[in-house]
Amino acid sequence: MTNNNVLIKGNKYGLTIILDKHVDFEIVKDQLKDKIVEASKFFEKAKLAITFENRELTNDEQRELIEVITNHSSINVICVMDNSEKEELHFKKKLDEKLQELSFNTGQFYKGTLRSGQLLEVENSIIVIGDINPGAKIISKGNIIVIGSLKGTVYAGAGGNENAFVVALEMLPMQIKIGDIIARSPDNQSMAPKTNKDPHIAFVDQGNIFIEPLSKNIINEINLM
Amino acid sequence: MGEVIVITSGKGGVGKTTTSANIGTGLAMLDKKVVLIDADIGLRNLDVVLGLENRIVYNLIDVIEGNCRLRQALIKDKKYSNLHLLPAAQTKDKAAVTPEQMLKLTESLKEEFDYIIIDCPAGIEQGFKNAIAGADKALVVTTPEVSAIRDADRIIGLLEANEIRNSRLIVNRLRMDMIRRGDMMNINDVVEILAIDLIGAVPDDENVVISTNNGEPLVGNETLSGKAFMNICKRITGEDIPIIDFDGEKSFMKKLRNMMKFGN
Repeated sequence: MTNNNVLIKGNKYGLTIILDKHVDFEIVKDQLKDKIVEASKFFEKAKLAITFENRELTNDEQRELIEVITNHSSINVICVMDNSEKEELHFKKKLDEKLQELSFNTGQFYKGTLRSGQLLEVENSIIVIGDINPGAKIISKGNIIVIGSLKGTVYAGAGGNENAFVVALEMLPMQIKIGDIIARSPDNQSMAPKTNKDPHIAFVDQGNIFIEPLSKNIINEINLM
Repeated sequence: MGEVIVITSGKGGVGKTTTSANIGTGLAMLDKKVVLIDADIGLRNLDVVLGLENRIVYNLIDVIEGNCRLRQALIKDKKYSNLHLLPAAQTKDKAAVTPEQMLKLTESLKEEFDYIIIDCPAGIEQGFKNAIAGADKALVVTTPEVSAIRDADRIIGLLEANEIRNSRLIVNRLRMDMIRRGDMMNINDVVEILAIDLIGAVPDDENVVISTNNGEPLVGNETLSGKAFMNICKRITGEDIPIIDFDGEKSFMKKLRNMMKFGN
């Protein structure tokens, strides 16, 4: 009898166990037992994630195989990983969406003036009570609200969320990036008369960043996901 | 216990050394015991502005390396016996001193002097870190130019990061004619950007150049800038003096208008 119905390989997280799909389950189980006994010294008390490949297993069968591994070695099986790439991508996407939503809907405060050369990087939406001076930069995965004048660079929706927005009492930014869209201030702004100190909002519409006074209509259109 | 005040700017050439010399002299005129430290190691010039260049025997590095006693390196001013200068070394570079050594030095000077004024080198490298190491307070000097203001902003940020929070601003080289024409930022614009309290504004004055070249600070004399520096010194000692308005008549009208506004 050849002993090639079960192959054990290492991967990034733990072990990939390749099972022959044509032989009887009991044979596979026995062979796995042999292999594990052989290798148990090597894997002494390792914490591993196990992936089964090449054979469809029912939940019961999977449990039986895990039992074989744990009974015949000191390997600590942390989890069994599904190796379907599609599933994984789906899961990752869901997780990202959830994280993004969280960063969008939870916020934190920062009090003080952000000065030239300073960088504030946050996972959540941020409310700055103070000014963002030229040369200062904020990066947030959510929204950015500045209770003061915004004269520096801001990056809202870092991670690609184009629904993010930027609000400032005085909007004179050097650059605004929302999602993957960048807008910069006009070149001749420094000598231009100051904008009136009404709050403004910057948002993305059809691939462009717009800056408009924070009117009731605009507020109604804001979508907090 | 004395107070350690660092005079800094970020950008070079805005008048740190002139300001240091005038503030040091002005405080001495107000009967305070003052020591000026030139922390610009490698490029010393505070001694030149004070007219004390020919009296230098020992310098800051000599004190720190233990080649002389602190007292030996302190140079007494020619006019005011309560004003002293600790000059920088010209032959060594900025890395010859560590912040810890500067802190130790200022701590020992604090016991004897009312004010320790440190003339900080331009930039944000080692020399800056040394100069601010022992400072209780900072005076940030800027001119009304965007480049100077930007660097001042950076410096204020770094001061805050180093727990020096009570910084005050000096706006130097104001040109009233240009401000009136709208070609130069006025004091309020500068203060608004930097968001720290103003301790004084000094007009651009050719007498400054003359006094610097003669090695005699002009603080306290009858020129506009001399008065402005004296007022800064008085504010440092805690006197409450309004900022001089160089804008003459026009500002009077403005004030009047403001008062009318209040009336309504």
